[in-house]
Amino acid sequence: MSPIFFYLSSWFDFNRINVLVILGLFFAFVFYFINQAKKGKSLFVRRISGLDAIEEAVGRATEMGKPILYISGIEDMDNLQTVASMIILGNVTEMVARYDVPLLVPICRPFVVPVAEEAVKQGYIKAGKPDAYDKNNIRYISDEQFAYTAGVNGIMLRERPAANLMFGSFFAESLIMAETGFSTGAIQVAGTANIHQLPFFVVACDYTIIGEELFATSAYLSKEPKLLGSLKGSDLAKFLIIIILILGALLETFGITKFSSWFFVR
Amino acid sequence: MNFYERLMNLDRRWVYLVVGIAVIIPVLNPFRVPVYVTQEVKAIYDCVESLEPGDILFLAIDYDPQAMAEVHPMAKAIMRQCFAKDVKLIISALSQNGPGMAEQLISELSKEFGKKSGIDYCYLGYKPYFSIVILGMGQNFRIPFPTDYYGVPLDSLPMMRGVQNYDDVKVVIDISSGNITDYWIIYGNGRYNVKLAVGVTGVMTANYYPYLASGQIFGLMGGLKGASEYEVLSKQGDRAIKMMSIQTTAHIVIILFIVAGNIGYFMSRKKKIK
Amino acid sequence: MDLGTIIWNTVALFLTLCIFSFLYKDNPFYKFAEHLVVGVSAGYFAIILYFNGFIPKVWEPVTQKGEWWYLLPTILGMMTWARFSKKWSWISRFAIAFYMGIAVGVAIPLEMQQRVIKQLHATMLPVHFTNIQGVWNLLIMLGVLCGLIYFFFSMGHKGVVGGAARLGIWILMIGFGAGFGLTVMGRISLLADRITEIHNWYLMVTKALWGF
Repeated sequence: MSPIFFYLSSWFDFNRINVLVILGLFFAFVFYFINQAKKGKSLFVRRISGLDAIEEAVGRATEMGKPILYISGIEDMDNLQTVASMIILGNVTEMVARYDVPLLVPICRPFVVPVAEEAVKQGYIKAGKPDAYDKNNIRYISDEQFAYTAGVNGIMLRERPAANLMFGSFFAESLIMAETGFSTGAIQVAGTANIHQLPFFVVACDYTIIGEELFATSAYLSKEPKLLGSLKGSDLAKFLIIIILILGALLETFGITKFSSWFFVR
Repeated sequence: MNFYERLMNLDRRWVYLVVGIAVIIPVLNPFRVPVYVTQEVKAIYDCVESLEPGDILFLAIDYDPQAMAEVHPMAKAIMRQCFAKDVKLIISALSQNGPGMAEQLISELSKEFGKKSGIDYCYLGYKPYFSIVILGMGQNFRIPFPTDYYGVPLDSLPMMRGVQNYDDVKVVIDISSGNITDYWIIYGNGRYNVKLAVGVTGVMTANYYPYLASGQIFGLMGGLKGASEYEVLSKQGDRAIKMMSIQTTAHIVIILFIVAGNIGYFMSRKKKIK
Repeated sequence: MDLGTIIWNTVALFLTLCIFSFLYKDNPFYKFAEHLVVGVSAGYFAIILYFNGFIPKVWEPVTQKGEWWYLLPTILGMMTWARFSKKWSWISRFAIAFYMGIAVGVAIPLEMQQRVIKQLHATMLPVHFTNIQGVWNLLIMLGVLCGLIYFFFSMGHKGVVGGAARLGIWILMIGFGAGFGLTVMGRISLLADRITEIHNWYLMVTKALWGF
């Protein structure tokens, strides 16, 4: 081993060069599309059908004159799903404000409270009804998962919202909340990228936004260049992965393993 | 409302009642059902069984009381197996409600096997922000845990002399009820190449099969069924095995409800089409 | 069996039944247990953070060992409290930026490595019909490809893409079904555990009171 290589190897893990290359490519895709979006180029994103379901839920609450409950999951602001949820919350607030329906937002993490307050406030301002904003409707419940769940269940049972919107990172509480919401007869729309919780939302909710659709929804609604660029970048990365997978499987079938072994990480 | 519609709109309280009875009957009249062992559980058992006296196993007890029923028997069986084989244990509890339960398990089994803290096992306890703790332990256990759970500095514990990080433990087994398992896979296995197996709740099980297939974890125990398999293999405890009869009767009742619900759905739809 | 064990087990049993009463309908017993768990968990978390975080990681290093540099992350942490003031909330951004910067820097390469590249490598499987494994491999490949196509947002779900996406959602639903089955198993385990505990309580109390 040459001394230079030895010196570099203590700073640079040559075994993981494939990680660097793939990460570099992914970053390049995302930066490219963010740039395109910033320049004003229109980037096509298909409409997520879950959005119609949200509108329908708001409409139903308006007809019934009952509140809408918005649950943003149980993770903190460092979780991207919570960030996406806050963007959706802003848009939901705009819809809600137009119809004069109360919006209740119980929160699990203290850091999420000011962000939710801001999102709701902006939503009311955008809808031209800043006076309708009521800070007391954004309530911190508890950091503890099942204490929060018990609190939210209490709200569902006592305030009987007409619609429950659940977007964010959910764990074992998902089924308990969705089941309670179902029992109160509320129309329910949910979305999470936590794959293991999706089955419960699928069975207990009227519409479910699955996995990455949650991020796509937030990008679609906000039209924010960074979000749109990331979505388009990850779409291109997915396309590349499909090509790599097909090629890798074909070569493996014919006994050529060199291609797939490049992706092996020690 | 015809019969099928009534079947579809059955008050859920009847379902609760019938499932409740299906659970109570085998509790009062216990019987045993055969437990079949899967390869992913056997891999964990074989690994622990292959350890020599004096080897160190890292047992991460990362669950809260609400998941005790499912995963506690796993932790107990593994700990008993290790104590019986004189394998040393480093134990952490990175779930906020977990330290007390781990402590209860340790005090019960250490008394039973005559094991001493600092000599046969080292209980590190809890520190917040598990991702940072898992990363920190990769450098040195002393970074997140300068002392053990009982406040004794790690350097003064005989068993921890010369033990720095994951390189000094043979295997890490994470028993968990939350996303801490993801961080053991991403940071523990990804960053430090730890040999990792996991025991998780039923809800989480399906999520971790891709990691098993890719070799990122070498073993997987899923829910109470996984725990019962481990008890069968290790012959350490039988709580999960006993529970399998309850599980079986309840599952039969639920399957019947699903079938009845589906018959109701399809028949009432057929009538509507007519 | 000492009296304390019997009393605490009885309290636990009472609270379990309070929560179970929700299955019938919302009632004051459930509300009592609900509020108790919210309060207890908040207090417990505060205490555990104090004794496992603040004392060993701030108080002891600074006051007993003179390791004053532990104050720097402490100040950074305290800056996040500025969020509670409208005027000073901007200060909290420094701490959050610091935390986010480190967390993202550590997480992204490892997430990419563990969740994407290793899985990608494990999915490049030989597809053939000479034995059952080859067919399973084909199913895995189809599942992954169609699942990926479903989450493709740059094209509408029409034509071939639409067909593949539909197959993708079917495969996802089958996966959800498996997940749901495992969850039923998990939930029944929890119920069985509680019922067993109630039964054990009954045996314990009868033994203590009547000696059998």
